[in-house]
Amino acid sequence: CSKSDQASQPNNDVSAQPDKIYKWKLVTSWPKNFPGLGKAPETFATYVNEMSGGRLQITVYGAGELVPGFEVFNAVSSGSAEMGHAGAYYWKGKIPAAPIFSAIPFGMNVTEMNAWLHYGDGLKLWRELYAPFGVIPFAGGSTGVQMAGWFKKEINSVEDLQGLKMRIPGLGGEVFKQVGGLPVTLTGGEIFTSLQTGAIDATEWVGPYNDRSFGLHKAANYYYHSGWHEPGTTLEFIVNEEAFNALPGDLQKIVEVATRAVNQDMLDEYTAANHKALQQLVEEDSIEVRPLPDDVLAALKTATEQVIAQARNEDEDFDRIYASYEDFYKKVKRYHALSEQAYYNNR
Amino acid sequence: MRKHIAKLSKGIDAINTALGQFVAYATFLMAIIMFAIVVLRYGFNLGWIAMQESVTYLHAAVFLLGSAFTYQQNAHVRVDVFYRQFSERKKAWVNLIGSLIFMLPVSLYIGIICFEYVIDSWALLEGSREPGGLPFVYVLKSFLLVFATSMVLQALSDIAKQALSLRELG
Amino acid sequence: MEWLSLVLFAAVCLTLLFGYPVALTLAGVSLIFAGMGAALGVFDANYLLTAPSRLFGIVSNTTLIAVPLFVFMGVVLERSKIAEDLLISMSAVLGKFKSGLGVSVILVGMLLAASTGIVGATVVTMGLLSLPTMLKRGYSPELASGTICATGTLGQIIPPSIALVLLGDVLSSAYQKAQLDMGIFSPDSVSVGDLFVGALVPGLILVICYLLYLWGVSAFSAKQVPVEGQKNEHASLAALLNALLPPLILIIAVLGSILFGFATPTEAAGVGAVGALILAGAKKQLGKDNIRYVVQETTKVTCMVFLILIGASIFSLVFRGFGGEILLKDFFTSLPGGVFTAMLLVMFIIFLLGFILDFIEITFVVVPIVAPILIIMGVDPIWLGIMIAVNLQTSFLTPPFGFALFYLRGVASDLVKTEQIYKGVIPFILIQLGVLVLMAIWPSLVTWLPDTMYN
Ligand code: NA
Ligand code: NA
Repeated sequence: CSKSDQASQPNNDVSAQPDKIYKWKLVTSWPKNFPGLGKAPETFATYVNEMSGGRLQITVYGAGELVPGFEVFNAVSSGSAEMGHAGAYYWKGKIPAAPIFSAIPFGMNVTEMNAWLHYGDGLKLWRELYAPFGVIPFAGGSTGVQMAGWFKKEINSVEDLQGLKMRIPGLGGEVFKQVGGLPVTLTGGEIFTSLQTGAIDATEWVGPYNDRSFGLHKAANYYYHSGWHEPGTTLEFIVNEEAFNALPGDLQKIVEVATRAVNQDMLDEYTAANHKALQQLVEEDSIEVRPLPDDVLAALKTATEQVIAQARNEDEDFDRIYASYEDFYKKVKRYHALSEQAYYNNR
Repeated sequence: MRKHIAKLSKGIDAINTALGQFVAYATFLMAIIMFAIVVLRYGFNLGWIAMQESVTYLHAAVFLLGSAFTYQQNAHVRVDVFYRQFSERKKAWVNLIGSLIFMLPVSLYIGIICFEYVIDSWALLEGSREPGGLPFVYVLKSFLLVFATSMVLQALSDIAKQALSLRELG
Repeated sequence: MEWLSLVLFAAVCLTLLFGYPVALTLAGVSLIFAGMGAALGVFDANYLLTAPSRLFGIVSNTTLIAVPLFVFMGVVLERSKIAEDLLISMSAVLGKFKSGLGVSVILVGMLLAASTGIVGATVVTMGLLSLPTMLKRGYSPELASGTICATGTLGQIIPPSIALVLLGDVLSSAYQKAQLDMGIFSPDSVSVGDLFVGALVPGLILVICYLLYLWGVSAFSAKQVPVEGQKNEHASLAALLNALLPPLILIIAVLGSILFGFATPTEAAGVGAVGALILAGAKKQLGKDNIRYVVQETTKVTCMVFLILIGASIFSLVFRGFGGEILLKDFFTSLPGGVFTAMLLVMFIIFLLGFILDFIEITFVVVPIVAPILIIMGVDPIWLGIMIAVNLQTSFLTPPFGFALFYLRGVASDLVKTEQIYKGVIPFILIQLGVLVLMAIWPSLVTWLPDTMYN
């Protein structure tokens, strides 16, 4: 029995009618049908509709259809949508600690994140953090380790990062700035053109699957790994608390189990699709895939420590939650060093 | 009574004119800052997310705070195939009814529905979702309320104006 | 009760004809429908709660920042008479030909269109820039406004175009989905770059057709086009260069800063605005009064454009709330067999929707529904994208609801009558439809260049 069970006490409230049909709106931060990220909420809706025998009907809205992608949290919090699918780092402006629940540079990978969330304190802390907004979070899938990004120039040393104009949002961008880079914000539509014309020198996106379908291989030649800034980005399902509490117990359970299923399903899809896309990038598109040099990674790592120390200083919640994250990470790293990591080297 | 109404309408117009003419200079600032962003970034490898975001703030200020002024200047577009040929009296009726059943409710609706949204943002002193961005998202959101308020006032002023002119036209 | 969405659509169209401002009519009628629907229990009032988020989406959309900046550039060029000088000197260069000014407008418009993909900004800029000059030089109001509207809407087609970027974004997903639905699990991709390259040939064909039309009119209907050849007695080379160079530098600065990677298209608008200021300053046209005029005009035009966006956003919210989009989806999925019928119907419906929805709404609401269906039927995604873009361009030109017409109407003041604008765009609409037919018969007009460049 997982810890996440604590969140949803079976609802035995008499006001919840067993035969009633519930209709929910699920707003997302992605365009409809966006590979990977956009498929997860669709899969979730299908699961729930089928498992509930049509008693809980969920309609998925792509970014901008009902609300813009960055407004998903507001929509769910205010109850104008019952549910959302997004990434926690989008809410940094409201909740400075939220990014911990999506990705920390050089932080935990997907396996470790899931372990911390579901069998550590992660999910509990996450729910406490969102509780004042009347929003209940669930892990909503992961991209796995992302790629460092697309570069128009070779990166051979830290020197090459000086003044390098890169679209890299979030904590990663902050770290990038610390080592002398120039993070730039661009809307999704401007990224490709800006990279193609050289208005920016580099961009990170997701991984081979999304990157190739976005066409980034037609704008830059060097594809660097690994995604030090997003080592396994966790997405989120968020549910309006009132709406959730109004559901009968069995439907609540269906929602919860479906999020767990989709959380796994997205990773499976990414793992299957990413390696195929990578093969195409190398064999059909003649893209050069390279590792970031050791000294670059070392500099980024040092900068990450500074950025996180600063974030802990500035926000109490960040400090408290990161302490739990760090503690779990340290311990699981020790084990993974001689299991996962050792095995990867052995095989 | 009629005098008071006319005075009130004039007062509203004066406020919105002042607001619109003041915020108009933001377009000049936008151009300068945007140009500076390009020069600094590509000439000197310098850049700040906050600077990029400042253009968004100015942009929002222009179209949210200048809209009532624009209405008052009759610069919002109409489908005027028929309107153009209407008599002054008919035009006044169109504007009176339009302001009463379209502009006033729409502006009220936006104001009421945005109120909690803006208050919530103030309660958190909401900042940018980008590190190094401007920490004044609550101010940016507040422009929505200024927009709604100035539009409600402008609608009332217009209703008064059209009603008075209908009386004069007999 | 989905049919109510169609009633809403019809009610909006009818009410607009009374002449109350478009933006407020769109929003007002929608709100009244939503209120009645909620009272009758056929409309989920929760939809109305999303308005703050949708409005803030417009506020924080950085792509749209190009609108005021390009408008600013246009107003500066107009106020400081630089635009007039440019057009006059260009027409002096082309003065040997009949209709040299008209040709200049089309070429200048093409250059402006290349630098912005926003219909509002381009039409407004062109309207401020060239309408008074053309009328002064004796062009008929119909021909002048038709030329400006058509040239202004080219911004969607000629890359780099923001419209194509958005469309490319959506089509790449649709293409993926279509392939996934067909069981192809390592899908091919279509990118914004493909659309840019694909749009080049059709864009140039349109420009050539506009030019041919203009020459045709000047050859056969002298009343509409003044005979200009003899007038250009000042066309000495030095004077020409003097008038021609600064504005050309400006256009090159805007386009160049995009193409050589100094700036994004949005930022290039800032480069253009400041460039125009510098040119105006050099002409000693930057007095206090002129600056005040420029900023106030820019503000009014910007507010006009954005209030329409706000109104359209509220309308599409209510339309969706009544289930209008489900109605559309059901309709599209039950289309009778045959790619031809399906494509034709989709094109026709997108054309109609272009009357009241803006490009962004259509791109994100309609295209994701219809594109996968059509692509599964075998339609090439790049071709589909360009067909949609040209189609919407046509729709934005078509009376009485075309957006381009509203925008020109908004800046034309009393120079032209609305009926004259309507009459003037008709030949250009026919040209557009002709090019659509050409692309339908020979899809390689679109697909050849990207195929050649990328393979
Ligand atoms: Na990423
Ligand atoms: Na363009």
